[in-house]
Amino acid sequence: MLEQLLIFTRGGLILWTCKELGNALKGSPIDTLIRSCLLEERSGAASFDYNAPGAAYTLKWTFHNELGLVFVAVYQKILHLLYVDELLAMVKHEFSGIYDPKRTVYSDFGETFRQLKKEAEARAEELKKSKQVGKPVNNSKKQGQVQKAGLGGDKKKNEGGLASDGGDGDTMKGRRLENGNSNGNHVDIKESNVFGTANGKENTSSNLGAFDVNKLQKLRSKGGKKAEKTVTVDSNGSKAEPKKKITKKNRVWDDSPPESKLDFTDPVDENGDNNTEVVAADHGESMMDKEEDFSSESEAEEEEEGEVGKESKPDKQKKGWFSSMFQSIAGKANLERSDLEPALKALKDRLMTKNVAEEIAEKLCESVATSLEGKKLASFTRISSTVQAAMEEALVRILTPRRSIDILRDVHAAREQRKPYVVVFVGVNGVGKSTNLAKVAYWLQQHNVSVMMAACDTFRSGAVEQLRTHARRLQIPIFEKGYEKDPAVVAKEAIQEATNNGSDVVLVDTAGRMQDNEPLMRALSKLVNLNNPDLVLFVGEALVGNDAVDQLSKFNQKLADLSTSSNPRLIDGILLTKFDTIDDKVGAALSMVYISGAPVMFVGCGQSYTDLKKLNVKSIVKTLLK
Amino acid sequence: MEGLEQLKTQAGRLKKLAGQWSSQALEYVHQVPSEQIYAAVAILLFTSFLLLLVRLFKRPKANTILLTGLSGSGKTVLFYQLRDGSSHHGTLTSMEPNEGTFVLHSEKSKNGKENPVHLIDVPGHSRLRAKLDDVLPQAAGIVFVVDALEFLPNCRAASEYLYDILTKVSVVRKKIPVLILCNKTDKVTAHSKEFIRKQLEKEIDKLRASRSVISTADIANDITLGVPGEPFSFSQCQNKVKVAEASGVTGEISEVEQFIRDHVKS
Repeated sequence: MLEQLLIFTRGGLILWTCKELGNALKGSPIDTLIRSCLLEERSGAASFDYNAPGAAYTLKWTFHNELGLVFVAVYQKILHLLYVDELLAMVKHEFSGIYDPKRTVYSDFGETFRQLKKEAEARAEELKKSKQVGKPVNNSKKQGQVQKAGLGGDKKKNEGGLASDGGDGDTMKGRRLENGNSNGNHVDIKESNVFGTANGKENTSSNLGAFDVNKLQKLRSKGGKKAEKTVTVDSNGSKAEPKKKITKKNRVWDDSPPESKLDFTDPVDENGDNNTEVVAADHGESMMDKEEDFSSESEAEEEEEGEVGKESKPDKQKKGWFSSMFQSIAGKANLERSDLEPALKALKDRLMTKNVAEEIAEKLCESVATSLEGKKLASFTRISSTVQAAMEEALVRILTPRRSIDILRDVHAAREQRKPYVVVFVGVNGVGKSTNLAKVAYWLQQHNVSVMMAACDTFRSGAVEQLRTHARRLQIPIFEKGYEKDPAVVAKEAIQEATNNGSDVVLVDTAGRMQDNEPLMRALSKLVNLNNPDLVLFVGEALVGNDAVDQLSKFNQKLADLSTSSNPRLIDGILLTKFDTIDDKVGAALSMVYISGAPVMFVGCGQSYTDLKKLNVKSIVKTLLK
Repeated sequence: MEGLEQLKTQAGRLKKLAGQWSSQALEYVHQVPSEQIYAAVAILLFTSFLLLLVRLFKRPKANTILLTGLSGSGKTVLFYQLRDGSSHHGTLTSMEPNEGTFVLHSEKSKNGKENPVHLIDVPGHSRLRAKLDDVLPQAAGIVFVVDALEFLPNCRAASEYLYDILTKVSVVRKKIPVLILCNKTDKVTAHSKEFIRKQLEKEIDKLRASRSVISTADIANDITLGVPGEPFSFSQCQNKVKVAEASGVTGEISEVEQFIRDHVKS
């Protein structure tokens, strides 16, 4: 059963909750959702699981960006409620009709909601029945909808002309809904695009079937309006037909290569095909031309121009430059997903050229799209600049540290408790753990903190000697026990030693290890869990690209999995090394922060002891979007 | 080449047309009595001047009060208490600032002409702190909300945030008054405002030591708080810092309202 349904503003005021459902939620799933999902630019995901002692909920949400509303549904995790997405979409549609920014009480919405819920539940019930009757299918949602479409087909016949009118407009909604379901991974979208349109259409017609006549009229008029709007953007209804044909022909794809040309009609939807290369080459040329024309303008401006070129190309036949200019002056009604697509793709490519991992660029764009969809475009702005501004905001939000990165403060706090502050440096081979450990030691020493090094790299030959050299140069005591000792034990002894002689900070050097090396990861997990350090610092090089995601997620995963305690220690911070070698390809910083949620605490940017910096968020964001 | 030729001829034709129209327009202007034209121009100038004046005079009046504080300290509730006199169905973590210009709810009943206040509730989530910098220049006063109930676990984070605000260049230079508001005092176990003030002062004193050290490294915090060598207290700040109590849920917010009245120019 549905546990709770909330409607609130982005500002945080609850506008309406369902009173009948009224079950008191255990813990605070919604605050957790906002903090750890929506604010972390993960709102592109499909659902969020909340786990707390005695409570396990799944949360689904949808935004109304124009009005700044959020709709969240909460239900027990063990239940797979299929109607939630649909219900949310319906609630959103109904509620946006009565919403008024000045009004804060919507007690009369309860009646409407009850009706909507009943409908949704009835449909889910029907679906379940049909599932049992039909051939055995596995639990996939998509198949469920195909079934439903079959069911809806009958009703469509009954409704006939009535449905066909509103159907067009709602196709969009249906498709968006479908997209929302498969947001999690992009591959899904591509697959379901073909389904999506067909499904959505029939789907909504079944929606209409369930409404009473009153609502039908309302819906129809609204749908009709929407349909008019969509015609200018992309004529979706008409597109559904040719697309179907294409898929049929796709099955004999290998035999007749020229047929792939048919796909050119729809450049928005295809992403990874060879066709894009041709299109891209096209754009490249136009950008070159523009560069010559506007050489005095700034670089960013040029790129935007390029994007505008891209945007206007697909539907050049329909609207000329005049109407697009008119649009930019008058402000566009509502941003649709298809309007954002070209600008987002350009932005994603730009991020990827800056060495941001592809997966992360993808998720970010997805999240920005969800935050912009349905918003009004202000006058005198272009889509590309709106998208860019939204992305900039998102990037700043991600890179701003969640926790305090003031280590000295923590060191002082630990000193008061007469405990050494323990920092463990972990990372893959050759990223510069020992070198940067020495830099951190130097920095701490500069600020009157007594430091001790612990050589726990008992694996690689020469590691202890290397650290000893650093220690001698910096005049710092070093704790070492030679090779072939258990690093966890060495670290423990080092901390003991530091407590005895009153050192403030213990810097623990560990052996470099690849994230897939199970025995070494086990050893690391043991070290971390045995000594419970104050800070687990992941050392990663800024040169890394897609591998950053793998490294960090595996390290975190292994630390969590191999830990015996219920509350495992994860990576607390990141030290980014070799930052001086990468010029403007600063994407690794973003990738790492996004995947781990941990802040970048230091940046190593050179060979000497003084080359340790703090991350400048603003300059990073600027470089990323340049 | 052919196309170019065509274009050229077309352009020529257009030029001719434009010339014709302009001469026609000139003729038309000559026909109209000159007084009318002067009047029209004068009206045009006057209206644009008026619009400009309105723009200019609207800007400099800084009557904005900022509600800041950690996430979960009760800013949004306070915002709606000030605006509507009730917290409605409750609030959640804010994702965007709440902003509004209104006459305070408690003053609505008065017949006197009260000036509306511009209030911004800045989200406390650390990811959204950056928004504070955008709105700080317009601030006439800052209300720093502290959760008096769950004070000790959040003490360090709160004092760090407060330290950041107190050392902002614009805050110090404009001497923007700060009100430290101990919220949720309706609860029995809530800490007293004196206790909170002392704890905050102690924490900021420590922060001062560690932060000023960092500033030599990289962070550009060139403002140091208080008098060096002495334990920090809020009275050493150049701007006024006051401590007050309130309870957002029950609506005991008279001290906030007083603060707002004191610092919003009427």
